[in-house]
Amino acid sequence: MSFCLDTYLRESENYEILLSKASFKESKKIILNHSPSVVYVNAGEKILGVRIIGIPPIPIGIDENNDKITLSYTKPCYGTSVIELPVNKEDIKNIKSLAIKS
Amino acid sequence: MKNALILLGCPEAPAQIPMAVYANYKLTALGYHVTVASTPSVMELLEVADPLECYVKNKIDIDSCINDLTGNSFNFLLGFIHKDAAVSYFVTFYNILQIKSMALVFERDGKLLDNFIENLEENTKATIVSARAYHNPKPLKIKFDKAIKQLEG
Repeated sequence: MSFCLDTYLRESENYEILLSKASFKESKKIILNHSPSVVYVNAGEKILGVRIIGIPPIPIGIDENNDKITLSYTKPCYGTSVIELPVNKEDIKNIKSLAIKS
Repeated sequence: MKNALILLGCPEAPAQIPMAVYANYKLTALGYHVTVASTPSVMELLEVADPLECYVKNKIDIDSCINDLTGNSFNFLLGFIHKDAAVSYFVTFYNILQIKSMALVFERDGKLLDNFIENLEENTKATIVSARAYHNPKPLKIKFDKAIKQLEG
C-alpha cells in the first residue's frame, strides 16, 4: 500500500510539528529557515499521497542526510502547520521530480 | 451540462451558510449542476439549514474532493474565503481546475480582507467579490448578485 500523509499523521507519533495554526506565509518562512535544501512544487501536487495545499511555489524542505522532509499542512479550520517527518529515499526522489524550481 | 463547485471554509463565519444556500439557488437557476465541498461540520450546518435538500443537493468532503479532482470535472469554481487557509484552498483548487472562478471574500477586519484579496489577485485570475461582512450576508449578497449577472453576460 502506498504512503498516505493523512493516515500517517493520525496513526504515528514519529513526526515533529514545527509550527501550527499559522498562515501559509509564516509556514513558508519556517520551512526555508529550517531545511538544508528546498524544492518548490505547484499547488495541488500529490505529496506522500495527498494534494499539497497552498500558494505556489510551495516549498518542501529536504534533509537528505537524515531522510526527512518538512512541509506545510493546511486544514480549513486549523490553518497551516509545518511538519517534519521521516521518509524514504524514493519519496525524496518523487518530490524532487515534481520540482518547478529548487 | 454545466458543473459548478462551491468551496466552503471553516464554519465560524455566520454569513457563510445562508450565502452558500443562496449561491446554490442562484447557480442552479442559471443551469449549473452544483456540488458543495466542505468540512464535515459545515456539511452538518447545511443539512440542518436545508433538510429537504431543496437548494443544496450535492455535498462532498473538501479533502476527498481535492484528492480525486481532475482538470475537467467542473466549469465554474466559487470559493468562500474568510480565513488564510481558505485562500490556500481556493488557489489550490484554481491551480488544478484552471476554470472560470469567483472568490467571495469576507472579513470584518479590513486589513485581513485586503490581505486575502491581494493574495488572490496575485495568484489567480478569479473574479473577486469582497465585503466587510461577518454576520450579515446582505453586503456580500448584493455584490454577488451583481457579479453573477456580469459573469453570465
